[in-house]
Amino acid sequence: MNKFTTFLIWIFIGVLNALLVWAILLLFILANYGLGVVISIFLVLTDWAIFSKKAYPYRYTLPALFFLFILTIYPIYYTIDTSFTNYGTGHLFTRTNAIDTLLTDPTYYFEPEDPKTYDFKVFVRYDEQYKPTEDFLLLLYDDKNMYLSEKPVTLEYDSRGNLIYAESELFPVENDEVNINDTTYTLIRPTESLGTNGSDSIIAIEKDGGIRYAYFYSPVDPLTSTNSAFYNSVLRQNYLKSLNLVLGDQNFRLSSSTIFKKFSEAYRVYDTSVKVIVDGEREIYKTVVVNTLTNKELVERDSAFWDYNENGELYRLIGYKDYIGGENFAKIITDPRISGPFFKIFGWTFAYAGLSVLLTFVVGLAFALVLNDVNLKGKVVYRTLLIIPWAIPAFISVLVWRNGFFNETYGIINRFILGNIGIEPVKWLNDPFWAKVAILITNTWLGFPYMMTINLGALQSIPGELYEAAVIDGATRWKQFRQITLPLLMVAVAPLLVMSFAFNFNNFTLIYLLTGGGPAMAGTNTPAGSTDILISYVYKLAFEGSQGQDFGFASAISMIIFAIIAVFSYFNFRFSGSFEEVSR
Amino acid sequence: MKKGLILTLVLLVGVLSLFSQTLTVWSSEKQVDFMKRIGQEFTRDTGINVDVQMVTFGDIKSKFLTAAQAGEGPDIIVGAHDWVGELALNGLLEPIPKSAIELDKFAPSGIQAFTYEGKLYGLPYAIEAVGLFYNRDYVSDEEVPTSIDELKALAKEFTTDETVGFSVTANDFYHVYGFFSGYGAYVFGYNPQTGYDITDLGLNNEGAIKAGYLLKSFFDEGIMPQGMNYNIMDSMFMDGLAAMIINGPWAVKAYLDAGIDFGVVPLTSIEVEPGKSMKPFVGVQGLMINSRSENKAFAMEFIINYLATAEGIYQFYIADPRLPARNDVSQIIEEQGGPVPADIVAAFTESAAGGEPMPNIPAMQSVWQPMNDALNNIINGTQTPEDALNDAVSKIKVAL
Repeated sequence: MNKFTTFLIWIFIGVLNALLVWAILLLFILANYGLGVVISIFLVLTDWAIFSKKAYPYRYTLPALFFLFILTIYPIYYTIDTSFTNYGTGHLFTRTNAIDTLLTDPTYYFEPEDPKTYDFKVFVRYDEQYKPTEDFLLLLYDDKNMYLSEKPVTLEYDSRGNLIYAESELFPVENDEVNINDTTYTLIRPTESLGTNGSDSIIAIEKDGGIRYAYFYSPVDPLTSTNSAFYNSVLRQNYLKSLNLVLGDQNFRLSSSTIFKKFSEAYRVYDTSVKVIVDGEREIYKTVVVNTLTNKELVERDSAFWDYNENGELYRLIGYKDYIGGENFAKIITDPRISGPFFKIFGWTFAYAGLSVLLTFVVGLAFALVLNDVNLKGKVVYRTLLIIPWAIPAFISVLVWRNGFFNETYGIINRFILGNIGIEPVKWLNDPFWAKVAILITNTWLGFPYMMTINLGALQSIPGELYEAAVIDGATRWKQFRQITLPLLMVAVAPLLVMSFAFNFNNFTLIYLLTGGGPAMAGTNTPAGSTDILISYVYKLAFEGSQGQDFGFASAISMIIFAIIAVFSYFNFRFSGSFEEVSR
Repeated sequence: MKKGLILTLVLLVGVLSLFSQTLTVWSSEKQVDFMKRIGQEFTRDTGINVDVQMVTFGDIKSKFLTAAQAGEGPDIIVGAHDWVGELALNGLLEPIPKSAIELDKFAPSGIQAFTYEGKLYGLPYAIEAVGLFYNRDYVSDEEVPTSIDELKALAKEFTTDETVGFSVTANDFYHVYGFFSGYGAYVFGYNPQTGYDITDLGLNNEGAIKAGYLLKSFFDEGIMPQGMNYNIMDSMFMDGLAAMIINGPWAVKAYLDAGIDFGVVPLTSIEVEPGKSMKPFVGVQGLMINSRSENKAFAMEFIINYLATAEGIYQFYIADPRLPARNDVSQIIEEQGGPVPADIVAAFTESAAGGEPMPNIPAMQSVWQPMNDALNNIINGTQTPEDALNDAVSKIKVAL
């Protein structure tokens, strides 16, 4: 190996390590510890596999294991975890997040009826290159008073590193001078305006060490608008946005009601306190949220915070994600919406998946047998034509079937074919029976090229001598097919049929695009349709039926569908294994 | 250790934010260009970049729901008022203080539509309701129907194998709500003080059943063929093969571009029974702010001072001619003109003024599917209107 290649490999290892370390850091910061730990372990293993002679073979399996984990095991874990929660509309965030929001979100700040407001000016220190720095002073003023605030000292960030709270104290300015923690700030005015007392003529503020803060920005002063970019994207975004200015027992914030042009009196409505709950011998500490205006503790019910309004009625503030045990699973049995048409849909799902496999297989095999005939001329052309349905995206061809073929009045089948031979138009998509037929026709069209292709492959592998022997024994063609072709074919194809069954069992796309599950089942009290399969029914229940999305419930049903398929596949593989004896 | 990490990240974010302070807007195709223009003004004034991204209207809500809860997603979305309930319930929309906007300049129905549980969650820019389009090649301005009976009689004249006299997307509850409300049906009982009462459903009352029979009669009497849907209707009108259709103002531009000579009759001027006229659903489009955004203060300034101003809403109107949600825009339209003939605007204005606002509560989510299923069954004759509507109501009740 030459030096250059070695060099490239080292670069690759370096970059890989750097990327993974970065990913791990990010995951920990985002509080996604589980995945962070797993990737850390993977990083250690990778480096071990690279640098240790003993671990040589693992070099090739580790990436596969990594992706197995990321793409398969982790989603399964996540689905199981979600199925025991109420994650969904109204319950999207964690309880900590919800409390954070209640404490720091401007929505939950209370402004008095007639708030005191102050205009403000920003004074900024410049660096040696005369660029503004993030060291600044805030001057609040009205007609009579002026108050000065230093850059905020208390800063709080959320888990993503966004500033959610900042605090600073205001000090009254007297005779253009203010003393903050043994530091004196002097307001500088041009010499000719000495003696005036307003805030208009201040051009700078000097700290006692001689450091100068120049007048930089005021939202009401058009002369400073050139500085607005730095003010908005740095100072306001990083400090002022969440700044709480304290003056005695008054608090001021940049207020949305003045469109952030002034500081206005505002107070936190909610605050946390810790409550001790005695549970037998043990004491449990629980964070509760208190409304500081009414001094009432917020009620926590149905995984949400509720507060009392003026009439003493409860209203919902914000919900959070919570573990609710097996409620989602219990719902499947106890909720009449779901258990009602469940078995009808369950039956149709099996019928649909089974018939789809059968029909595609039969049609595919028929074509494969024809194409496999040595006497057939122009095989390539036929094969190409027959594979076309497979090549067109299902999203397009299904819509063509739906609108172009099956439409009751304008569709080709009713209008030209049935119409011309004098048959009454068929209600393709609106009659429960014909809708099912339509689905099977479309699915056969979509699926037979795949079956044809695998059958063609499998037919090639059947040795020709078997047929020669059969012909000598006087077997008919049908008998040859029954006794030789089919059994030997099934050895290769049966596992694929099982896969196809599993695929069709969950073939949401076809149902959703072709009939949308419709026509509706009459006389049920759920949005069940006659052609709904389990997965499309679940989709309706979890995402369209109720008041929004219900991820927890959708996860629970996904697990049940997974269980059904797992059991079915297990028995099917054992069953398909019986074919293998033929080839022994 | 963790503090150190966070500090590093904060510093990193701080440094990055110097260069990348950007407001992101998700909007459907039509508004993107002029919003970019207004965004440049905002950038000039504040130094905050505005990035307007095109997202298909139907995808905005679902994408926003997913992105916003992960703390990503845009700062502003352009959407419909009936999203408000669901999004606000999830805590994903930032309320806009009524004191910050010129409340009296906005159409009251627009403000009401974006108000959920007493808080304003968006600024309306356009109001819309469906109307009856008629092709002047078939129907002259004098013949325009004023009642269902006239409509039916007129439609029968023009229904042939190739053409259709009258068409409406009959299996879609939004499009046919006018017939239901005309006969006195309603979705949820409404009380101005307490809002919607989701236990009071008016979709299987006497009026609703009459509306069901009326819809069925369009098919039974051969006015509309089975299998008619929005796309067929839309393309037939555009090709001049339909005499009258019910559609919304969003379709106007395409029909004008196709060179169809058409007029619009407000649905509210068509009586289902003497003295009872149709009241279509009124939809309101508006601008909403992501409450999980880091820039919501800027987003608020942008929509209040730049987009939802009279000039801004005029731009919305030019790009997508629906009824502007600000009263002072009509004056600008009079002075500067607009892309749509004045009589068509006036017809939609009247239709919207006499319509009923679509409920913006999350419960509305449970109404669409059962009602569309019921309409399908009624049209096909699978169920009688009574049975279908009773079924739909019980489905809705169970879902709530």
